[in-house]
Amino acid sequence: MPLYPTAMKHVTAMLLAAASLTYAQAPGPIALRGARVVTVSGPVLEKGIVLLRNGLIEAVGENVDIPKDAWVVDAQGATVYPGLIDALSTVGLPETPAQPTAARTETPATPRFGAQDLPVPLEQGPQFRPFTTTWVRAADLLNPSDRRIEETRSVGFSSVVAFPSAGIFAGEGAFLNLSGEKQGRMVVASPAGQYVTLASHGFGTYPGSLMGVIAYIRQVSFDADHYKLELQAYASHPVGQKRPNYDRAVEGLLESPRLLLPADDAKQLDRMIRFAAELKRPTVLYGGHQAYKIADLVAKSGVPLLVNLKWPEKPKDADPDREESFRTLELRDRAPSTPAALEKAGARFAFYSGGTSAKDVRKALKRAIDAGLTEAAAVRALTLSAAEIYGVADRVGSIEPGKIANLLVVKGSLFDEKAKIQYVFVDGVKYEPVPETPPSGDREGRSAPGGVE
Amino acid sequence: MKRFVLFLLPLLEATLLPAAQTTVIRNATVITVTKGTFQGSILIRDGKIVEAGEKVLVPDGARVIDAGGQFVMPGIIDCHSHIAADSINEGAVAVSSMVGIEDVINPDDIDIYRALAGGVTTANILHGSANPIGGKCQVMKMRWGKDAQGLIFEGAMPGIKFALGENVKRSGSPGNGFGASPGLRYPASRMGVEDVIREALTEARAYQKEWRDYQAKVDRHEQAIPPRRDLKLEPLVEVLEGKRYVHAHCYRADEILMLLRVADDFGFKIRTLQHGLEAYKVAREIAAEGTGVSTFSDWWAYKAEAFDAIPYNAAILVRKGVLVSLNSDSAELMRHLNTEAAKAMKYGGLSETEALSLVTINPAKQLGIENRVGSIEPGKDADLTIFDKHPLSNYAKVEKVFIDGDLYFDREKDLEERPGKEARKKALIDKEKAQENKERKKPEPAEDKKTEEPGGAQ
Amino acid sequence: MKTRGEAPCAACLAIFLSLASLRAAGPDTILLRGATVHPVSGPDIADAAVLMRDGKIAEVGPRIAVPKGARIIELKGLHVYPGMIDSDTEIGLTEIEAVREMSDISDIGLFKPQLRAATAVNPASEHIPVTRANGITSVITSPGGGIVAGQSVLMHLSGWTMEDMAVRAPAAMRLEFPNIRTPNRFAAAAETPGRTSAYAEAKKRYEQQMRDLNDFMESARRYRQAKAAAGTGFETDLKFEAMIPVLDGELPMLIRAEREKTIKEAIAFADKQKVHMILERGAEAWKVAADLKAHNIPVILPPTLRLPDEEDNPYDKPFSIPGELFKAGVKFAFASFGPGDEDNPRNLPYEAAAAVGFGLPPEEALRAVTLYAAQIWGVGDELGSIEKGKWADLIVTDGDPLETRTQIKQMFIKGAAVDLDNKHHRLYEKYLAR
Repeated sequence: MPLYPTAMKHVTAMLLAAASLTYAQAPGPIALRGARVVTVSGPVLEKGIVLLRNGLIEAVGENVDIPKDAWVVDAQGATVYPGLIDALSTVGLPETPAQPTAARTETPATPRFGAQDLPVPLEQGPQFRPFTTTWVRAADLLNPSDRRIEETRSVGFSSVVAFPSAGIFAGEGAFLNLSGEKQGRMVVASPAGQYVTLASHGFGTYPGSLMGVIAYIRQVSFDADHYKLELQAYASHPVGQKRPNYDRAVEGLLESPRLLLPADDAKQLDRMIRFAAELKRPTVLYGGHQAYKIADLVAKSGVPLLVNLKWPEKPKDADPDREESFRTLELRDRAPSTPAALEKAGARFAFYSGGTSAKDVRKALKRAIDAGLTEAAAVRALTLSAAEIYGVADRVGSIEPGKIANLLVVKGSLFDEKAKIQYVFVDGVKYEPVPETPPSGDREGRSAPGGVE
Repeated sequence: MKRFVLFLLPLLEATLLPAAQTTVIRNATVITVTKGTFQGSILIRDGKIVEAGEKVLVPDGARVIDAGGQFVMPGIIDCHSHIAADSINEGAVAVSSMVGIEDVINPDDIDIYRALAGGVTTANILHGSANPIGGKCQVMKMRWGKDAQGLIFEGAMPGIKFALGENVKRSGSPGNGFGASPGLRYPASRMGVEDVIREALTEARAYQKEWRDYQAKVDRHEQAIPPRRDLKLEPLVEVLEGKRYVHAHCYRADEILMLLRVADDFGFKIRTLQHGLEAYKVAREIAAEGTGVSTFSDWWAYKAEAFDAIPYNAAILVRKGVLVSLNSDSAELMRHLNTEAAKAMKYGGLSETEALSLVTINPAKQLGIENRVGSIEPGKDADLTIFDKHPLSNYAKVEKVFIDGDLYFDREKDLEERPGKEARKKALIDKEKAQENKERKKPEPAEDKKTEEPGGAQ
Repeated sequence: MKTRGEAPCAACLAIFLSLASLRAAGPDTILLRGATVHPVSGPDIADAAVLMRDGKIAEVGPRIAVPKGARIIELKGLHVYPGMIDSDTEIGLTEIEAVREMSDISDIGLFKPQLRAATAVNPASEHIPVTRANGITSVITSPGGGIVAGQSVLMHLSGWTMEDMAVRAPAAMRLEFPNIRTPNRFAAAAETPGRTSAYAEAKKRYEQQMRDLNDFMESARRYRQAKAAAGTGFETDLKFEAMIPVLDGELPMLIRAEREKTIKEAIAFADKQKVHMILERGAEAWKVAADLKAHNIPVILPPTLRLPDEEDNPYDKPFSIPGELFKAGVKFAFASFGPGDEDNPRNLPYEAAAAVGFGLPPEEALRAVTLYAAQIWGVGDELGSIEKGKWADLIVTDGDPLETRTQIKQMFIKGAAVDLDNKHHRLYEKYLAR
């Protein structure tokens, strides 16, 4: 008699557990069968099988033994791709980023326009670091219940690389899987890169101009080089030496595997490529709308480029009587041809949504393909290239045994007019696209990273 | 659309004609500026003037430009301009020597082409006048169509901008002057301006010493790490060592003298006083220093410190032995520096040659590039402007401009290309309109049904 | 002096003629002789003379008998031209632009027809001697700001008081036509945080201003009516008083409108309101040339020496506009007023010259700073050419006044010699001698 309730409790517990496991993760392996499989890293399989287990891809091929306990997903008439990667995003991060406040711990107060009682220092010393929060990490700020995670996933993305976006040195990004459950579970790699903007902050503050920002970034980079020397010298022989000051901003920069610098038009791309070479830091450029003009230069430099899928548009509030310049018109016309030009030149590039709503990403891609980008290159840019750029190509970005089970299953083919997304797998968990939420008012207004500076 | 791309390439393509050409400009009135004026021809090869004289043999295969009835002079040099740069001022700090025009060169600026069409071949692009010590300058050639690096005047001495007077004081205060009380940023008086400059140069001296001490250690094979690089002080050390020219924006006679004294105290010379509208009052002192003046022809009265400006400034300075150039500080004025030069004849009686020197050989000397440009002499760069009438006439217009022997501006060609350009623009506008209409008429494509689909395995 | 009686005998005629020439050769009688005279209204006359008396031009021609007591000025090898007229300046209203205390260009308010530039002109302004030293004898000085900015004055650049100087006070009622302000080049550029206003906002503002303007005109009409009816309770309103000559068509309305759309609207407005319009600073007048010609609206041009208004415009567009207007039969005058610090009224002739290389015949360029300007301002019978009966506003030069190298040797305004010395020249002498 006394065992029964306990047993019941156990059974109930097990059933519940089983139920939750079914919901969260199918017990045992999953097999996708009968689909066309675009592995990206290898040839396309016209009728292939992809076997997933424990969140990883176990096997892929035309003849794969499907274990008896596998949950078979019939994917006839569908195409399986690696899960798409949005290479620069704010998805998963809180919408209003924390303002960089007490960043300058030892420095004199920031000049605030209109504040007569704060004397502006004549000189800004080495510790003056305006708009700099290099140490902030996206991985620390994750909000798994961000509604956008689901929205982004529903359009085929299994991963985003999310970055803090405020200030000049905004902080370190993280390569995230869009599982949206546990914070820790979402992070694939962190830090992923230091997000840098060239935003100047108006005439009243330093830096107030583009050349001021560039000079500032250069100085910080040189300071980082020097700091390293100082630390090394001190570490090797601390006795009798003055110890170096702890410099949080520089520490944050030194931890960074790469810098992300904005470069939208051709002259900026040219500038930033040279700047990267001067700073001698691994760099990734983002923006790229006018790269079609200098695709060969970009390719030759070896600097990867994240192309913003939010193609330039006619401003909604334009004066209809004002004629736009040829330069502006030409950019709007030619920007979507940038990916094709980059492909042709052999440059390394990936895509990011840049403020385009998740569902408009497809339209944006279509424009690029209409302008000459091959579908294969489009898929690669959305998957393996992004993974390579962020140094995680060994674990994600293509359909290969051992890699993370991030997959996209599309009825038809991804670039079909009528393509329908059937499932997205993230870490081996199957998700179905959710019905579209009603448009929220702030979609247009929210500034996304990688916008035109 | 691809065809349009090909048509557009010339806009980007380096030159209208290949570089290593041999060219003869023939039958013109050649105004060399330094070696007189004559009827004759100029032989150009590999971007340089090989010969200029009354009788010049035309080599086989040379491109011949018949300039009969026309006037050739050296390409005009503008010693003070702010075109072709994406930033002009870094005004929030009193010393912004860490910034530089070289970081923000804008090769797409249409004002480059417009300057070219006004006969300018070289310009000194300066930081603005918001701070006592401003940013680094860049000498550029107007090589329209080249990228940023392609505009740089190779080998020109680096420069930096200093500024004195009202602009500097005003930059500190909110609301931009008009009797406002001293504002946010020091300095707010001419006294403060001097202080800022002295302090910065003093710091630079200390920084220089740091590096010398370090170098001494290294020479003694001692352990040492180099000092932290201070990008603000490095250009100032170069100034102290005579390796970077100072171009100082100034107006009042007293502030000019102040700056000359400061430079003396620190052991260097100011290269040019920019604007220097009251320089005529202290011409003697300026001449004794060997400092040059680069000024306007006749602007005055727009600011208090410009109230004593006179159009005779250039002439007085020339008579007192100062090296003088006329500049524009304006994308518009830049287009007619030839007629601005004529004003120095009207106001002060300079000769034709003296007047034309103000916009050719003199600014070349001020910028330290006179071995390359500024006059028509064998060995110099083939930077030449052809006018249809005498350049000092208001009726003259520029027909052709050569830089490094390449034809960068050709009025005839410009006129021919206009209908094509308009047509291309119209085609883009029409294309976009058609696209908009199509979007409006087409119903929204069926959304991906995000609802559950039967048939998928479960 | 007419002889009475029948046909005079030859001797009487001779006596009469010599008596006539002896008549009142007072201190204001001056004979300029030996120069090439450029009347502008007709062909040039070599080795000619101009007789000035009582401030007017009494004779022009190759041979003029010298009245007794007249002062003779020999001008062999020199030239005589009409004094030039600058149709858009702020001379006398501001001394140093950057110093607000020294500026009287505009006052508060949108509708200020009663404000008169003539009142605020400082006859002792240094700009006057500086400007006239280069051959400009009269200018239009205009108030600015708001929608109806006030009354412009046409004045000689010489005189102790405005009574001495004024030629026409008022010369016009100035209106800055409402337009939708869109960001200018600088605001749109990367550097400055732009004070751009959204198009929709700007459009609303513009529509309100148009309503206000039309209301204002309507009120002015009603006032005029009420005044004419002279009923009881009628109160004088200085604002509307100032508008009466405009409504009567006697005082032209000087309307500033730069872009095509604004110009078209201004033309329609002038039509509807039945006012006599002069277009000012019409940068895009070339786009509306046919309309302007059809309505006989003359144009006061913005400076020729300016940058093209649009990035894609040909580099020489501003230089070629006067030529285009000339071909379209539109009447225009050059003016020096331009945006920024660069306007220097003494350079007016060079604005005219700059258009010559690009399609404007040189004689037309000269006319557009002399005769046409006078005609546009309704003083074509008094100024603008060397013709008998007009004011003796003349300059003596050593060449073409539109060329920079030319020196202005002498100047006469209303027949009196004008001192061409000025502060600049004095400073020159002083410091050359240091």
